Amino acid sequence: MTQEQFIDLVRTEQEPLRRFLLALCSGDSALADDIAQEALIRAYVSSGSFLGRSKFKTWLFRIAYNCYIDNFRKKTPQRVDSAGSEALNLPSGDSADGGFRYQQLYQALDRIPEKEKAAIVLFYFEDKSIKEIAAILDMPAGTVKYNLSMGRNHLREHVKL
Amino acid sequence: MKDNNIEDILRQAKPVVKDDPTFLMETRRRMEQVEGIKKEVDRQHRKSRIILIATLATGLVVGMLAMAIVFLYPSLFQGFDSSFLAGIKDFLVKWKQFLPYPVAAIAVALSLVLTLKPKESLS
Repeated sequence: MTQEQFIDLVRTEQEPLRRFLLALCSGDSALADDIAQEALIRAYVSSGSFLGRSKFKTWLFRIAYNCYIDNFRKKTPQRVDSAGSEALNLPSGDSADGGFRYQQLYQALDRIPEKEKAAIVLFYFEDKSIKEIAAILDMPAGTVKYNLSMGRNHLREHVKL
Repeated sequence: MKDNNIEDILRQAKPVVKDDPTFLMETRRRMEQVEGIKKEVDRQHRKSRIILIATLATGLVVGMLAMAIVFLYPSLFQGFDSSFLAGIKDFLVKWKQFLPYPVAAIAVALSLVLTLKPKESLS
């Protein structure tokens, strides 16, 4: 794969990739973009080994998730505070109450286990199918469903609906 | 509380990524750096390969010459007055039955190195 071919593929995928990492990084856009860059370079270096068995974007998301996990293990990410949700450019909602609810949601996302958070973000923010999430997170489809269910339960505990 | 409520909130709370034109430029810059590293690694691989081939070829030629002298012209060893050469002669004469093995091993190694595809760099 040439540099130009790779850039062409990345051009369309960079926005969802950055959004995914932004949500995982609790709104820290600098960290999210740094991980996205790292993931793209890892993908470029190993693009020769991409066999096309999965979609390019699934493969890219998987690399990005692995980069995020590596980063997460290296250092505890900065916890989101009330200003963190502003960095996420959250929709403000129809009312002040709606905006507050989204802030609560993102703070709650930061408190749930990583696998559940990733499954929730991919399913609801990126509209990925269970099969795609299973490929990205390298877990069986049943485990993805379990993580989604547990994630929703944990979120409900933290978010006042 | 119903699952639908949290699902609705999640679907509406999709974060918005700010358009950043420098992002792809930065990616391209990093890719250029990777290309630089790839070229350097390729250069090192080629250099190592040439050194290995030269060493094996030298070993093969020297080994075959030594075998030829030991087996075909043993008389050439007569009259060596240098203790170093005399030592080599004694060694070769003593172990001449095993001499073909290292030479054959070198020949096999050389043929393998020459036939194997050079290692691809990082990709």
